[in-house]
Amino acid sequence: MNKEYLGEFEELVLTIVGVLQEDAYGNAIVAEIKDRVKRDANLSAVHVTLYRLEDKGYVKSHMGGATNARGGRRKRIFTVTNAGLAMLRAMKESRMELWKLIPQLKMSAV
Amino acid sequence: MEADTAVEDVCCLNCDALDTNDIHDASAMSKKETNQSASNNHSRHRADRWLNLLSWFCPPALYEGIEGDLLEQYEEDLNTIGKKKAKQRLIKNIFKFFRPGIIFRNKFSFQHNNTIMIGNYFKVAMRNIQKRKLYSFINAFGLSIGIAFCTLIYLYIQDERSFDQFHVNKDRIYRMETKSYNYWEANPKKPYYYNATVQTGLQPAMKEEIPEVEFASRYSPGRNVTMRKADEVFTEKITYVDADFFNMFSFQVIAGSPDKLFTHKSDMVITPDIAKKYFDNEDPIGKTLVFHDGEEKSFTVTGIIEAPPSNSSISFSILIPQENRGNYENNVTQWGTRDVSTFIQLRAGADLQKFGANLEKMTEKYLGEMLRKQRATSAIPIPEGIKLTEFQYTALTDIHMRKEIGWEKVSDPQYSLILGAIAILILFIACINYVSLALTTSASRKTEVGIRKTVGAQKQQLVYQFGIESVLLALVSMIIGLVLVVLFLPSFNQFTGKTIQVAYTGLLPLLSVSTGITLLAGILAGSYPALFLSSFLPATVLKGKFTSKFQTGFTRPLVVLQFALSAFLMISSVIMYRQMDFITNKDLGFNKEQVLVIPTQTGWNKKADELVERFRTKAQQEPIVEMVSGTSVSIARGFSSRGYKINDENKSSFFYLVDPNYIPALDLKLTLGRNFDATISSDSSGIIVNEALVRDMNWTDPLNEYLNWQEDSLSRGSKVIGVLKDFHFESLAQEIKPMFLSINTKSFGHLSNILVRVSEGNAATSVEKMRSIWNELSPDKPFQYTFLDEDVAHQYESQQRWMRITGFSTGFAIFISCLGLFGLAGINAVNRTKEIGIRKVMGAEMKSIFILMNKQYIGLSLIAFALAVPASWFVMTKWWLSDFKFAIEVGWELFAISMISGLFIALATVSYHSIKAAWINPADTLKYE
Repeated sequence: MNKEYLGEFEELVLTIVGVLQEDAYGNAIVAEIKDRVKRDANLSAVHVTLYRLEDKGYVKSHMGGATNARGGRRKRIFTVTNAGLAMLRAMKESRMELWKLIPQLKMSAV
Repeated sequence: MEADTAVEDVCCLNCDALDTNDIHDASAMSKKETNQSASNNHSRHRADRWLNLLSWFCPPALYEGIEGDLLEQYEEDLNTIGKKKAKQRLIKNIFKFFRPGIIFRNKFSFQHNNTIMIGNYFKVAMRNIQKRKLYSFINAFGLSIGIAFCTLIYLYIQDERSFDQFHVNKDRIYRMETKSYNYWEANPKKPYYYNATVQTGLQPAMKEEIPEVEFASRYSPGRNVTMRKADEVFTEKITYVDADFFNMFSFQVIAGSPDKLFTHKSDMVITPDIAKKYFDNEDPIGKTLVFHDGEEKSFTVTGIIEAPPSNSSISFSILIPQENRGNYENNVTQWGTRDVSTFIQLRAGADLQKFGANLEKMTEKYLGEMLRKQRATSAIPIPEGIKLTEFQYTALTDIHMRKEIGWEKVSDPQYSLILGAIAILILFIACINYVSLALTTSASRKTEVGIRKTVGAQKQQLVYQFGIESVLLALVSMIIGLVLVVLFLPSFNQFTGKTIQVAYTGLLPLLSVSTGITLLAGILAGSYPALFLSSFLPATVLKGKFTSKFQTGFTRPLVVLQFALSAFLMISSVIMYRQMDFITNKDLGFNKEQVLVIPTQTGWNKKADELVERFRTKAQQEPIVEMVSGTSVSIARGFSSRGYKINDENKSSFFYLVDPNYIPALDLKLTLGRNFDATISSDSSGIIVNEALVRDMNWTDPLNEYLNWQEDSLSRGSKVIGVLKDFHFESLAQEIKPMFLSINTKSFGHLSNILVRVSEGNAATSVEKMRSIWNELSPDKPFQYTFLDEDVAHQYESQQRWMRITGFSTGFAIFISCLGLFGLAGINAVNRTKEIGIRKVMGAEMKSIFILMNKQYIGLSLIAFALAVPASWFVMTKWWLSDFKFAIEVGWELFAISMISGLFIALATVSYHSIKAAWINPADTLKYE
């Protein structure tokens, strides 16, 4: 585990950004969270989390993709950086380690 | 592609970002784009207004992305959950963005650079103030007067509101009052009488029978008695209360035990001043004090209580139990007479509804019978639902402001409102003056602004600089203002009849209030000049052009307004002064000059009459004494009146018990009949009436009439011996009412006052002579006297006070108006410098330039007067003068005098600038052209 660690929601958002690959922006992330985890996230919460992740260097953003529905405003699209990927990997490994130790959660394949 | 055409067809009202890039990205558009785009655009337009709100707190860099997301979601929602809910969601989301994570991402524009410059700003500000000492001083002074005034009014209002607030139980203490229907004369304007007197038996009855009442105390203030200390005799005021008084009110008991203060009827509690006066520095507890109120009574001091502060409605110096009041045993059972005030304290959590119900039950029990009888025998029919007498109550803290119920130290809440409004008005005017004066001096700062901008100052920094300058000046004004407050506080106290002091406890709120006012004034007043100065363009300014004219647009109407206000006050002052002059000099129908009024102080018994006789015998030996008489009530020191029924009509008249010397002593005129003659015995049952009474009774031959004012069924009443010409025994605010005189001291009263007419020019010696006679005849009472003309003038005290206030405000308003006019004239002169230079070159003389400059002010003054004259006429005649039934005529010469003097003042003020402008050397002003 790194010295800095992520909050639960930050972790979720970072993961979803990774999932969405190309088109990770505010609304898409909210929709995706609703879709996959069945959880209602607020748009402002997601935005603020994304900015914080950017401050920490786990994602980077660029502008692109204006549509009519947005009144011609561009989207801010986020992508995971290498540091972000490293963080995700580290998180996945450390969690797996811990979960393996719970007898009731023992998976058939390691 | 269908998507493309959709994009091109739609005309978005807000799409300034719509450019070629967007059309390329059309392929990336959401699949949910439908044909509803057109209507969506319309609703989006409405949503945009809310998005503006977002732009207030959203960092600019992130704004576009957030806004776009919100709009996209809105579009989706329009299709799924409907327009109204979509809008609600949008607004909710916008507000949710108002969170620290977003707000603090804003870079706040407070640059570090500004703090470095503050030192420089202060230095420059100080230099500027010193460079233009006259203007700075006038500016600061004007503002300081405004601040001082506001502070004084604040202190006044604080004092008014603080009345009786220091009692711990103030929320539960009430004063009992009586509301009685005026069935004697049906007066539709004032159908009820309210007063704060109730029956003596009410207090014990309330304590016993009403469970909500915890404590109750009666209160009879201010009975004069004489007390002796060694050889000297003093008059003191005695206040009668009950033992509960010490439980209810928070007057601190300094010595003695609070629950054992009134155990005996002869106990007495005094204030430290009294203790010092009669016992020097000894402990007074347990000692005896004797006083004389017709007979000698002695009391034991059981405690010392602190004197009530000035903001207390209850005042006292000596307290003794109620049982000592004359005729107490009788009064307690008498429910027909009301002669005492009563305070009650309710239990904590008492139900006011229940209390009211219990009160009504008590009214029925003790007064029911009597009221029913009154209703049956009343001459005027009393409507069914009206209660003849009702008990009411007022909370202790509200007493001070209820001016319709007579009480000592009652005040009119109107005063506070009016004074507050005046204070704000004056401050406002002072600020506007400040602005106009600041603008006048700003011409000299042009070059400075130009250079600062050239070396890189931003507009905002210049605004700060000039803002700091005005705040600095405002702070200086505040200091001057506070000094003024301290200086004028004594005269303000005298003026308003208060004793306001700036104590240490009140110092902090006072300072914060005045600092608040100052900063507000400084920032408000300084903002316009600051913005104006910082907007100069370096290019024009450094070239030396004088052409940017200040906006006089809005100072002009203001100067007119100030002047109108001053004119209004001036005219009002003149009218008031004339009226008061008229009153003091009007012939009241009797000779009030040179008459001493000496109370006999013997109590209401025949000793008074004997004293008058003995006094007369001695006094008439003195050559300066012209006449000695006696009367029951002296004019303007009270009155007595009686009501009676004649032929089933309710009548009333005033009534004075006098002696035969009364009419000659006061130089009253008889129109019919003759004066009382002590030698004719039937004269003792005769009366002398005034013309008003004759008119009231519709008599044609008064000398053959009788007035049955005692409603005596056996005789015809008192025979009329003479008719007096009407004279003003009441103030000129009243019409002359019916009145009669009688000399019957055996049955109808006693002569409580001696009237001594002395010859002219001997006031001091006559007083001394009277004093020595008094000391011979009545050595155990201190000699007291007043002069009749002073008593009469005393009736108009509140009018006098308004006259003083108006006079003072007039001087004040004129001063401020002159400041404003001065500023305006200055601006004007500066604006026209070039024009004047050219005129001089063309050959204009000083005189013509002088007239040229002053012309416009005459116009302004005339407009101001046109406004002021009708306003002052209306206010004066409808309000102030209507208080007097006998008033002066408001003629045009009053207005003319005020107008001319006003014009003169205005011209004097503007002449300074006109002369200065006329002196200018054209070479200086036209150099740069």
